[in-house]
Amino acid sequence: MATVKERLAKTTRFYQIIWALCLIGMFIPLVRPLGLPVVLSEPVKDYYNSIVDLPEGSVIAVSFGASAALLDEQEAQFLATWKTIFQQGHKVIFYCSTEDSPIVIRNELIVVVPESYGYTYGTDYVILPYSPLGEAGQAAFAQSIRSIYSTDIKGDPLDEIPLMEDIDNEEGIDLLVYQYTSCTDIEWAVRQWVVPFNTPVIATTLGCCGPMAAPYYPTQIQGFLSGSGAGTELEVISGNPGPGAAMGDAKNLGILPFLAAILWMNIKPFIGKEE
Amino acid sequence: MTSVIGGLIGTLFIISVMSMLWKDNVFFRFGQAAIMGASVAHYTFMNFQSVHTNAIKPILAGNVLFIIPLILGLLTYSRLSSDISWLAKYPTNVLVGVGTGVMIAGTLRGQIIDQIKQTILDAFTGLNGILIFIGVVTAFSFFIFTKEHTGALGTSVKIGRVFLMISLGANFSGELVWYLTQMIGRMMYILNEFIWPLLGA
Repeated sequence: MATVKERLAKTTRFYQIIWALCLIGMFIPLVRPLGLPVVLSEPVKDYYNSIVDLPEGSVIAVSFGASAALLDEQEAQFLATWKTIFQQGHKVIFYCSTEDSPIVIRNELIVVVPESYGYTYGTDYVILPYSPLGEAGQAAFAQSIRSIYSTDIKGDPLDEIPLMEDIDNEEGIDLLVYQYTSCTDIEWAVRQWVVPFNTPVIATTLGCCGPMAAPYYPTQIQGFLSGSGAGTELEVISGNPGPGAAMGDAKNLGILPFLAAILWMNIKPFIGKEE
Repeated sequence: MTSVIGGLIGTLFIISVMSMLWKDNVFFRFGQAAIMGASVAHYTFMNFQSVHTNAIKPILAGNVLFIIPLILGLLTYSRLSSDISWLAKYPTNVLVGVGTGVMIAGTLRGQIIDQIKQTILDAFTGLNGILIFIGVVTAFSFFIFTKEHTGALGTSVKIGRVFLMISLGANFSGELVWYLTQMIGRMMYILNEFIWPLLGA
């Protein structure tokens, strides 16, 4: 009969092997991409369609709540979403709801250059600076943008920005893209945009937050991206390859040892092997 | 060359933080302190800038009403002294009051009425809807503690427990995949920002 210490050591060794296999599995596609097939899910298709079905020139508000520490999980979502929006010729109001957002958006818009799609800052897109919005802030933004933001990120008054001339509340917004990292934040969009104004909302979030967004789809939010996997799917459906492509392969291979371990641990009791 | 040095610094920080997996060491503590210090500086600056833009500038422009939220915000710091810490109750009360007021209407319709309505309507649309309906009802029954879990309720509770386990499992798998993504992201950073530029690839 093995002692507790021996059993713990055996378990630890087992997990070390799993993690080592996982690391090897993740590393191979980064060096040599495999091009594994990507299956498109319904929430991603609806997310994409919500953007492309809008008439050209529609106004999209992007509530940008990014975290630099979690960017790996969401970068593919951000880039593919913005490229899709720019390709459709929609006008965009980015507003930053977290401290990291202004830095992240500046860096990402170096990759997705709006000007390369014929966009002009101030006329076709605008970036509003960081404001600690929270739920009350989202409610205030939907009712009066100027009650929250008096200037854009460059310090220019909103009244002097052509895109913002006739827009001050939800009436001027055709679609809200709600990009967030804290799982329960989706409730803010539902409570402050969907319930009072019936504004169409699509959302992007972390993989672990997907189950909390799912109950609101498809009746309250039109579509959502959960994790980098959904970002990869959006890259595929929109034809905009990005960081998600390489990441998808690595994740698929990296997860295999865990799936094998789960399978083995569930089969083992039935074949009578000692733990 | 500059980008390789940047990539090297980033790589060293990643390795120093991950060295914790081996054991606590001076490199991990240095990496941790550097990241914490930079984060605190960044968040302090961004929030001060926000207060400056949203409160101080309007006050200086003659909009004196903005002095009220500014004073309420400052009162939060009264917690630093036990003699006047009671003053912090005022901003807390305002926050709780406003927060509750803002969310209550949306919660009732968006998260209770509409969710119940849709769950019932979906139950007539197919197998998926029926499963969700059964899952919701039985999972709710699991939390009935005023009646003994026997008979029909006991059966419902057992089914509800299965749905809850599936739900928790889905959440946990999301967490695991998320951690893998973070790890892959760091590996991609090391390769793309340091290794490949260093090798000239």
